[in-house]
Amino acid sequence: MSSLLLGILWGVAGVLVIAGGAVIGVWWERKVAGHIQLRYGPQQIGPAGSLQMLADVPKLLFKEDIVPSGADRPLFKWAPLMAFAPVAAAMAVIPFAAGWAPFDTSVGVLFFLAVPSLEVVAILVAAWAQRNSYAAIGGLRAASQMIAYEVPRTLAVAPLVLLAGSLRPTEVVAAWRWWWLPLLAIAFVVYLIASIAEMNRGPFDLPEAESELVAGYFADYSGMRWAIFMMAEYGAVITASLFAAATFLGAGWPFSGALGVVALVVKTSVLVTIVMWTKWTLPRVRQDQLLRFCWVVLVPATLVQLAIVGVVLPWM
Amino acid sequence: MVTEELTLNIGPSHPSTHGVCRLLVRLDGEIVTHVEPIIGHLHRGIEKMAENRTYLQVVPLTDRLDYVGSMYANWAYCRAVERLAGIRVPERAEYIRVIVCELQRIASHMMGIGSSAADTGATSAFLYAFAQRDLVIDLFEELCGARLTYNYVRPGGVSFDLPDGWVERCRAFTAQHPKAMLEIDGFFFGNAIARARLKGVGVLDPDAAVAWGVSGPSARGSGVDWDLRRDDPYSVYPRFDFDVPIGSNGDAFDRARVRLWECIESCRIIDQALDQLEPGPIMADGLPRLLAPRPGDAYDHIESARGSLGVYLVSDGSPRPYRMKVRSPAFCNLAVLPLIAVGHTLSDLLVILGSLDPVFGEVDR
Amino acid sequence: MDVKRDRPVVPASVSDGPTGDGLVAGARSIAKGFAYTARAGVSKPLTVRYPKEKLTVSPRWRGPLALRGVLGRDEIPLLRAPSYAYNETIDGLYRADRLPPCVGSCPANVDARGQAYLIADDRVVEAYELVRDRNILPGVLGRICHHPCESACKRNFFDEPIAIRPLHRFAFEEYRKVRHERISPFPRTQGKSVCIVGSGPSGLAAAYDLLKLGYRVVMYERERKPGGALNTGVPAYRLPREVLYEEIDDIVGLGLELNTGVEVGKDVTLPSLMREHDAVLLAVGLQQSRILPIPGTDAEGVVGALEFLWSANFKHEAGVRGKRVLVIGGGNVAVDVARCALRVGASEVRLACLESESEMPCHPWEIAEALDEGVIAMCSLGPEEVLTKHDTVVGMRMRSCLSVFDEMGRFAPKFGDETTDVPTDVVVFAIGQAPKIDTIVAGTELLVSGRGQLVVDGTLFTTSVPGVFACGEIVTGPGSAIGSIATGHEAAVSIHRYLQGLPLDGDRVARPVPVYQKHAPADTRGIESNRRRAVMPMADPEERAKDFRQVELGLTRQEATAEAMRCLRCESEVCVGCTFCARTCPDYAIKVERVDEAGARCLTRYDLDLTKCCFCGLCAEQCPTKALHHTGQYELSFWHRDLMVFDKGEMLRPPTGTRATGRDGISPPGCPVPRREDG
Repeated sequence: MSSLLLGILWGVAGVLVIAGGAVIGVWWERKVAGHIQLRYGPQQIGPAGSLQMLADVPKLLFKEDIVPSGADRPLFKWAPLMAFAPVAAAMAVIPFAAGWAPFDTSVGVLFFLAVPSLEVVAILVAAWAQRNSYAAIGGLRAASQMIAYEVPRTLAVAPLVLLAGSLRPTEVVAAWRWWWLPLLAIAFVVYLIASIAEMNRGPFDLPEAESELVAGYFADYSGMRWAIFMMAEYGAVITASLFAAATFLGAGWPFSGALGVVALVVKTSVLVTIVMWTKWTLPRVRQDQLLRFCWVVLVPATLVQLAIVGVVLPWM
Repeated sequence: MVTEELTLNIGPSHPSTHGVCRLLVRLDGEIVTHVEPIIGHLHRGIEKMAENRTYLQVVPLTDRLDYVGSMYANWAYCRAVERLAGIRVPERAEYIRVIVCELQRIASHMMGIGSSAADTGATSAFLYAFAQRDLVIDLFEELCGARLTYNYVRPGGVSFDLPDGWVERCRAFTAQHPKAMLEIDGFFFGNAIARARLKGVGVLDPDAAVAWGVSGPSARGSGVDWDLRRDDPYSVYPRFDFDVPIGSNGDAFDRARVRLWECIESCRIIDQALDQLEPGPIMADGLPRLLAPRPGDAYDHIESARGSLGVYLVSDGSPRPYRMKVRSPAFCNLAVLPLIAVGHTLSDLLVILGSLDPVFGEVDR
Repeated sequence: MDVKRDRPVVPASVSDGPTGDGLVAGARSIAKGFAYTARAGVSKPLTVRYPKEKLTVSPRWRGPLALRGVLGRDEIPLLRAPSYAYNETIDGLYRADRLPPCVGSCPANVDARGQAYLIADDRVVEAYELVRDRNILPGVLGRICHHPCESACKRNFFDEPIAIRPLHRFAFEEYRKVRHERISPFPRTQGKSVCIVGSGPSGLAAAYDLLKLGYRVVMYERERKPGGALNTGVPAYRLPREVLYEEIDDIVGLGLELNTGVEVGKDVTLPSLMREHDAVLLAVGLQQSRILPIPGTDAEGVVGALEFLWSANFKHEAGVRGKRVLVIGGGNVAVDVARCALRVGASEVRLACLESESEMPCHPWEIAEALDEGVIAMCSLGPEEVLTKHDTVVGMRMRSCLSVFDEMGRFAPKFGDETTDVPTDVVVFAIGQAPKIDTIVAGTELLVSGRGQLVVDGTLFTTSVPGVFACGEIVTGPGSAIGSIATGHEAAVSIHRYLQGLPLDGDRVARPVPVYQKHAPADTRGIESNRRRAVMPMADPEERAKDFRQVELGLTRQEATAEAMRCLRCESEVCVGCTFCARTCPDYAIKVERVDEAGARCLTRYDLDLTKCCFCGLCAEQCPTKALHHTGQYELSFWHRDLMVFDKGEMLRPPTGTRATGRDGISPPGCPVPRREDG
């Protein structure tokens, strides 16, 4: 019973963290994009426009919730939550501080890799439910892309598990040494690229490519349901960055305790910024190029990384 | 496995149709098997409206043909009127027209390059181009008060003289513009992803370009070495020294990059024109407020940012045109879309459409 | 040049991009992209200024439109002369392009706009005095002026010009009723005296200015009556002499010492005048008719135009009764001679000129009136020889003229082979006049050119002797009365500067008279009759050709008031309700609603529909008064409300009377003016 209560508590906390992160993330993305594009981004409400989202969130809440006439209503309504839930769940296994994660399980790493992948189901459901050709194309693109990039992403995490000798994230953090950084550089880069593809962000944002599919798999969503999709996207960015910061970059290293948490947040922010920077720098790739890049570049690269780690491992 | 073609209507309201065009597309998976541009969503009957307005009142209408390059339509129309009514334009006005139209070419090409970038998802490159466009638009606003529909070139001359300090600000712009263009060249056209997206996409061979009446940068990208400014010189263009960039592959990359180099050459023309600009009248003498040319007809064309833009006017001696016909380069260029887009993916289709740089105000008229 | 070398060179083909292919080049290009966006991210945006920088409104901001000034509430600044302030005002207006075209094209810059404003406001006497400031003889010029102002009138673009000249005449007719109350001598404040030789328009203009500036002015006139060429040359059917004498009387009443019947060079000498006075102004005009050096001109029956007009005007007899008269020349003087000849009883009057009909230098309305009266015009004929028999004229041999001017526009007639003999009894040469000043300048050091011309500076009006000035046709050659008046004003400024010891040229601006083209007759189809120009009533051509009665009969008070209301008040920034904005609008966005019933309060409402407006700006560009402005208030896109609202004072005004200056200049209610209808 108490574990159920605890689960609910952590669930609410995770949702709040993601929602807060999404609010800040949207503002930060707009600032980053603005400055990169020779603009300023939001600057009217609050210092540097930081309270912009306070205005945007009520607006989204009060917008009409439109359900297209031909839509599969129950699926259409539930799809955003189905997209959001895995992302929130993934938060549970992140080791925020040394030796502590909300849900410290022995298969944490596997959990983190597997659960967010459920999002692809939500996306397919959303795409299907809208009865919209653009959404259908977007959903199919998303499915092929996310399933394909699961492979390099998982392979990129594998060396980490090998080095730590455990699938428990807290133990990975505990085992982390600074020289893992150069050693796992390839894996880190591949993980980042694959994560970007997983969360459908530029330059791999084909499922929602604005110039082609208008908004892709959530083309017909409006108001808060649309916002939940966006939250899921930002949540994915934040969780992926948090996980990378915790496992690849050593969580609170070189500090510990509260300062360590701050270090983790800073590292995460830097990673999030890099993800945004990438989006606003690179053109979008085409579907065939996307898949070719996955199989021809990323997967071999991770295999090379595995081999390197395999060579190093006996010496430890 | 049984597959079925997916019919998709792109537009008329769609981020990448550059106006309101509807593309009826049949898809085999991601591959386009059939594409049919359906135009007319922006048809306002400008040619017909012109028949009910005086010659001066038509000028604001021509603004709304190619709203990305209003100066061109103004100029082509005014040239036809001047030919019809036998008006001699003062030299200063001709120079000002050349200057504003070359600036307009830059502004318009920034839109063209920008849309090539935006269609491939490179929003930043789009905005870098637009920053340059903004600088041009600022110059125009100072010149005539408007940022999009200028109503500036008038039968007999131009509506306002250059304000104080404009020439210096124009020179400052042309001094920094080629550098900015080369940076965009490196940033966007040099980028591996952009090259992968643009190269070999939508190849238009030169013979087809000529056969379909494609003109402007879209034809020059295919290696058709034809530029009215050089090959059918009008106004004071023969006095300037400039090169006409051409491509050799005829793909989306070439079409976009021809535009980029044309901007650099436009700066060269503007600098020469500013050097040669001399004080003088900006409007032909003795022009009546109500023009009523003798009965007859006249056709004149200029090299707009999209190609050969012509206006054919018939007068019956009344103060209103009897008939106005616009030869729209955007319309002719759009016609080759099915020819070059079939077989490419859906993503490429929109890149190809963007690389033809149509403006639907001019296509539909 | 460095700039040219720095310029990027167009590659032979643009297909080869800035980077190569391959994985390494690709990775490098992506890294470069990241570097570029990072650099852009920390650099300051180039184009985005707002709100970091305050936006400055561009000089030609186009936004929604607003009327500045409310109908009729603003006074129009009137141009009063003579003073430096006046000249500076005019110069400033020239530079700012704010001079009404009528004022700008008048050689003397007569404020025709102010005149129309005052007449419409029922302040006719003030209007007369305003005009007299620059046009010294409004009553005279109101009859004879060639009115370049009307040719430049902006109303030409739309329908017909304002009848400015008839309004001068109307103002004079009103003024003459009260002139005795209005005239008192100007105070003499300067203690210096100026002598003016000649009482023609230029001399009188200079005299008026100098009197107003406080000088003593003494004028000498050879004839018994003053007026110069206006007195001797202008036919009486155009100018009744009492008008001329009355207006000159007024100037005498202002303090002018006029001595008539005194010939300088005979009765008094110029050197003695130069000793007596501080400055001398020669405004003697042209006294001699030119006669062509062709065979037979010494025969009896060949006369000059000036001599002919003199005897016709003063004796009403020129020895041509029952005879055939041939007038050589195509100018205004020739037409005057021809029309005078009819009036002194010639049986047949022919006019022969070199130019073709369209090229004739006389004003088109002059020749039209002459043709009405029965003058026969023979164009493109050059005089070859006067045919004589017993030393008496029997005819004239004319040679056909192919062209008068060469390509450069210079006078170089080309003749054909064809000749015509025109039987005639009298030949009048009206081909120009020449000065005759040898007796006047005798005993002085004044330089006279070989052709008998006085040497004069054309902008400062000085001669070769300090203190002696010249103005009028002796400087400009044969010209218009208003042109002579303009030189008189300028000469007065020079004399004033000379007597005050100021540099003569200083910052004076030579203001060439702008040349406005002749307007083709406007297409007046569909224009309401009450919008159109007042028609000058004319005496019947059959009747009027028999004597020297006036041809033009003058406007009635109602006609004149209505005509003055037609004035567009160009450049005054006051809306006159001309509705041209509504007519120019290509999108029919401006709607005019007019309450236009007789006796009702007249109110015009302009409705600008911004949903239709395309912001082309044509309405504001064509607004003759510049009342319609583009403003920068892009968001505040509504019309000024005060246009539609009566103020208290307006409510209390009676619905007739001064309305015309105010709300609506088009059709004053309660003022139904009979006008000609189309047809």
